[in-house]
Amino acid sequence: MSGDEMIFDPNMTKKKKKKKKPFMLDEEGGEGVGGEEAKEVEAKEAEPEAGEDKEVDFDEDEIRKKEPSDDLNDLNFFNQKKKKKKPKKVFENEVEEGLKELKIEGEQTETLEEDNLDLMLPTKKKKQKKVDFEGELVEKDDALEDDEGKNNDGISFSSITGPSWAGTERDYTYDELLNRVFNIMREKNPDMVAGEKRKFVMKPPQVVRVGTKKTSFVNFTDICKLLHRQPKHLLAFLLAELGTSGSIDGNNQLVIKGRFQQKQIENVLRRYIKEYVTCHTCRSPETILQKDTRLYFLQCETCHSRCSVASIKTGFQAVTGKRAQLRAKAN
Amino acid sequence: MSDIQNLQTFDPFADATKGDDRLPAGTEDYIHIRIQQRNGRKTLTTVQGIGSRYDKKKLVKAFKKKFACNGTVIEHPEYGEVIQLQGDQRKNICQFLIEIDLAKEEQLKVHGF
Repeated sequence: MSGDEMIFDPNMTKKKKKKKKPFMLDEEGGEGVGGEEAKEVEAKEAEPEAGEDKEVDFDEDEIRKKEPSDDLNDLNFFNQKKKKKKPKKVFENEVEEGLKELKIEGEQTETLEEDNLDLMLPTKKKKQKKVDFEGELVEKDDALEDDEGKNNDGISFSSITGPSWAGTERDYTYDELLNRVFNIMREKNPDMVAGEKRKFVMKPPQVVRVGTKKTSFVNFTDICKLLHRQPKHLLAFLLAELGTSGSIDGNNQLVIKGRFQQKQIENVLRRYIKEYVTCHTCRSPETILQKDTRLYFLQCETCHSRCSVASIKTGFQAVTGKRAQLRAKAN
Repeated sequence: MSDIQNLQTFDPFADATKGDDRLPAGTEDYIHIRIQQRNGRKTLTTVQGIGSRYDKKKLVKAFKKKFACNGTVIEHPEYGEVIQLQGDQRKNICQFLIEIDLAKEEQLKVHGF
């Protein structure tokens, strides 16, 4: 029966499968209204990955774009690869190759005419060669420009950030000053909030179906340990969010009623981490959750801030199933 | 005196009441949108926390027509009137509530996977 085989996922239409995305923490994984936006932001986030050294100088616009999404968008769960690094290296290699070629060519010319070492000399033969080579380079450049487009952006921004008003008579603009102060701040302490973001890497949850109606979260206790949270707390959150019931079985795995996929559990976990694990001020994951007069407080080990977090509420539960309905009627 | 910024009277709570123009104060500000699994591929979507000055029956009528699903209003002693719709309508509801200006995006809280 296809009905049994099919894994429950209300997000997808009958047979259309969504393209698998790497597990990056974008808010709700494309659901909700701001899905598109989140993706865009993600793309923006991926950008700094490419050139970490270049990231120091970013435009202020970039910063602004980051700010709203800065929650945990870079929480990746291991299976995410760095894609951006490659094209650049290829490009460099090719340039190196080109240089080698140039050298070889230079040697050849040397053998032909011993005196001239300078390639730029306007003898006819050499000029031809030179032009040829340059043409090649340009071609290569063109081919790689698409891949490098984003990187180029970053680089071009950097040129603005220097004291561009230094030599000129004109007054500096607000944006320029803002850039400057941000750069200085980042140089002085890279761990700062507005600066580079730490990656918070997590194990992906292992989710296995048990029979047809239950789902097992195999490494539940491992993840609890990783997050330094009590299993009880995470359990309460998961069950409240998913609107089901479940329990921890003998092998320390969580069995949840209902069909869930790894992707869906990941989404919920992301939300948990965002709310209950990372510090709301500095976003460091080194936090302690304390209970104080019925309220939970998140104490950060890094910046020592302390803030209250929302309590876990199940909210309204609709009655599903015949037996539950009968019971509800009897009451 | 008022030239010095620090000496100006500044009301830190001036913008605290901004959110009240759409949802009545006192109640929880969030509108919770939840999903619940039923048997098979079926789901239920519940909307909890819409202010009392909105007629839920009329809202349900609009929802039903717009999203082509069935739905009811359920009276709950603790949570008040809760809208219950068939199928996964979370996205639709969010969009709709924002479109008709009933709630802002940050007032909606979508639960579930």
